[in-house]
Amino acid sequence: MTDPQLWISAAELGCFFGLLALSYYVVLAGTGFFNFAIGPYAMVGGLSAAWLVLEHGFELWLAVAIAVVATMALAAVTELAVVRPVQRRSGRSELPALVAVTAVLFAIEQLAGVIFGYTTLPGQELLNIQPITFGTSVILPSDLLLGIVTIVVFGGMALWVRLSRTGRLLRAVGDSRDAAALLGLPVNRIRLVAFVLSGLLAAVAGLLFAPKAGVSSTSGLDWALSGFLALVVGGTATVWAPLIGGLILGALQVFIPFYFGGPSLSYLLLVLAIVFFAFRPQGIFARRVRV
Amino acid sequence: MTMNGSSSPAPVEVAPPPRHRPPWPSGLQANGSLGLGVLAAIGLLVWVGVNGYKQTLLVTAATYALIALGMYVPFVLAGSLSLAYGAYASIGGYAVALISTETGLPLWFGWLIGPVIAAVAAVVLGLATRRLSGFYLVAVTLLFSEAFQNYLSNASFTGGNAGLASFRSLDVFGWHPSNEQLIIASAAVVCVVAFLLNRLRLSPWGIVVRSMREVPSAVEAAGTRVPILNLVALAMGAGIGALAGALFTQMSGSIQPNTFTLNLVFLAIFMPIIGGTGTPWGAVLGALIVVELTLNLPSLHTSGTLLVSLGVLLIMLVAPRGVLGYLDTGRKELMRALTPTKGTDG
Repeated sequence: MTDPQLWISAAELGCFFGLLALSYYVVLAGTGFFNFAIGPYAMVGGLSAAWLVLEHGFELWLAVAIAVVATMALAAVTELAVVRPVQRRSGRSELPALVAVTAVLFAIEQLAGVIFGYTTLPGQELLNIQPITFGTSVILPSDLLLGIVTIVVFGGMALWVRLSRTGRLLRAVGDSRDAAALLGLPVNRIRLVAFVLSGLLAAVAGLLFAPKAGVSSTSGLDWALSGFLALVVGGTATVWAPLIGGLILGALQVFIPFYFGGPSLSYLLLVLAIVFFAFRPQGIFARRVRV
Repeated sequence: MTMNGSSSPAPVEVAPPPRHRPPWPSGLQANGSLGLGVLAAIGLLVWVGVNGYKQTLLVTAATYALIALGMYVPFVLAGSLSLAYGAYASIGGYAVALISTETGLPLWFGWLIGPVIAAVAAVVLGLATRRLSGFYLVAVTLLFSEAFQNYLSNASFTGGNAGLASFRSLDVFGWHPSNEQLIIASAAVVCVVAFLLNRLRLSPWGIVVRSMREVPSAVEAAGTRVPILNLVALAMGAGIGALAGALFTQMSGSIQPNTFTLNLVFLAIFMPIIGGTGTPWGAVLGALIVVELTLNLPSLHTSGTLLVSLGVLLIMLVAPRGVLGYLDTGRKELMRALTPTKGTDG
């Protein structure tokens, strides 16, 4: 565990998982459920940008802008056209929302396969600088950008949730939707903001992580699970908890296969999930409420 | 989602009289749908005939239907979504394959032990998430599917990625059924399982489980252990899923780690929604529709799965009762139009 290159990989994965977990966290804070379609959102963000550039010769930044907007639109459509009508009809039980987001996950994966094709496309490099080398280790520009953006995004989110009016409303709506509605808070608008914001975060995560190993239409499911696990491990006490969870998960994902071989990773993730779900489902950092 | 209480339009009257008759004529409903199901199965078998391609298609449809029926128990009845059905079906399939190739035990032993192992796995996964929301169960079952598929590809006794093939032919106490007989038997198995699940749905246990889906706290308060009820439903579903795997493996004569894909599991969630969640027969009908759209229509080719997944979103939004639900409404309307007006059914 002394090779710095491995730690760079771990940090890179950790930042990616942290961003995905933050995307989960925003929807969870505003609506009280986990939107599994976040993995496919990230996939669409990374894949559509690469597809526009490679197959259609778009300018890089135009393609990136289109990808981000498309992903945010996808998230808005998920809330407006699927989750909200389904929940309105079936009351507050969680199963309809769960089935709806699972169906959305699968539909996006299939749609992406038909539109973008079934091959893996290389992610687009957004930062054109020389790799930074120290000793035998290399920090690629994509790693550097991912790390910087992650810190900026988390810092911004922490301030936004605490200081902005919308951020405070988000927490109020998530704590008790009925109470918020009784007080006359704009519940539906806040939920929509939460979804669009999570789409933005997922798109950024997918765009920045795609250069690492490429992105294909089936990447979304694994990413959805990794982000979910990162959030469960980290907890929801503060905005920073998802990042801690992501970094822990990233380190495990790098070091376990390195020492125990490739197949051990999926076993480890299963064991990690069972242990955390059974014994500490609230995560490492949990908010304690005294009653 | 079901059971909209019929309310009296006149608000002046105090408390409507308690209904003593259950709102469904249980025996009649279950037997009637069995009759229709068997008729449809016979029709399909006649259509299939001795055409090899159609036979494969029917076996696939029967497998899909059994997986959807297995999923129906925890998903539609108990309200918890498990996505490990690919793994459960693999367990059933590998149980038959390993008993056949590695041991001298009779083959039916494999058919028996697969569902038991799958049920145990389902209970372990359910135990880990028994007090958590359904999202955790989805996550842990997905991770289990990936880990199990990984294990099958890497373990030596399962034949790795190449899987296992060339099994002994089925021997039921000295009787060697022919291929045609086996195909009839697979259709029969689907009908029997759907019939039994329909009876189970209408039984007191089924009613408790369905109440648990709607108001778990009330069932818990009445003294029934909700987590245990949930685990039983999960185990039962996993067992039926393993049966599907055993059937497919026996009929196709080989199994690989990726025989039962995650795509199939997602499609299996959609099957009851497409066919109608009101009865297990809806899952069977949904399986037939999905097989037709994804495998039998060459014009759709790869977009069949996309069509199904978008169609399901549409069905959830505008037609939540599925095909059978609307057919049933149509039948009632027809009956009402045909019978002279004497009274209305409750």
